[in-house]
Amino acid sequence: MSATGAGGTPVDPEGKRILMIMTTGPEDPDKTYAPFYTAALMAAMEIDTTMYFLMHAPELLRRGAAEKVPLKKGGNLKMFIDMARENGVKFLACAESCRDLCEIAEGDLIEGVKLVGSATLADLALEADSVISF
Amino acid sequence: MAMLNGCEFPDDLLYFVERTQMTWVRLEGDELRVGLTDPAQTRAGKILHVRIKAAGTARERGKPIATVESGKWAGPVMAPVSGVVVEPNPEVEKDPGLLNTDPYGKGWIVRLKPTQPAEVAELLRKEGALAKFREILERDNIHCLRCQA
Repeated sequence: MSATGAGGTPVDPEGKRILMIMTTGPEDPDKTYAPFYTAALMAAMEIDTTMYFLMHAPELLRRGAAEKVPLKKGGNLKMFIDMARENGVKFLACAESCRDLCEIAEGDLIEGVKLVGSATLADLALEADSVISF
Repeated sequence: MAMLNGCEFPDDLLYFVERTQMTWVRLEGDELRVGLTDPAQTRAGKILHVRIKAAGTARERGKPIATVESGKWAGPVMAPVSGVVVEPNPEVEKDPGLLNTDPYGKGWIVRLKPTQPAEVAELLRKEGALAKFREILERDNIHCLRCQA
């Protein structure tokens, strides 16, 4: 498996950029954990990994919210968010979604989340080697 | 062999304990053998996938030499010292569960040729290592378990 992708071709993920767009919030707990897990793994592979949260997804980043998102495998979402952050995943939240849909002030978000506008999403998508949407 | 919270720590090993990293190092001539410690494999849970950097890959201390996935945990295994990968363990690549069942034996991850000998001297041993492990085991409430082969 050393440096070999699923297709059998050599891959070197180091230094690549992946943008992950997250639109699901706490209303559907089953769809919340895999994006954080995958992002954590990608960051561990030295891929420059950014998660962009919009629509109801910023709700997951409200202080104390992840602890209330139960997972079928046991535990709650917080451990996966912590794991992604420990591995170096960058979290960006859509300022408009936070203000108009989620009604979250910047101070209500967990540490390390940056509020950005929609134009930033365009920049990130154009600069990324790959964009994944959840 | 020292024991803390049911976790084994062989006396003859050196240890790299930084942030989320808990790896062991065995000196073998001018090379090192590196693997996950008992608490590291316990925290990860049953390991399903491992990817190890290919032979010849140069790594600085603190940069990943492997990634490990268990379904509940995904993270890097950092190089405990700067060096060049001599050999990834082919047995672990075929059977990642060896990381859980035999972390200090067949479950070694990589052989590494150090390029900064001074960093080897900075690795922790015996009481110095145990003090740091004790702190982490208590903080994260880790009690070691070994998966059955």
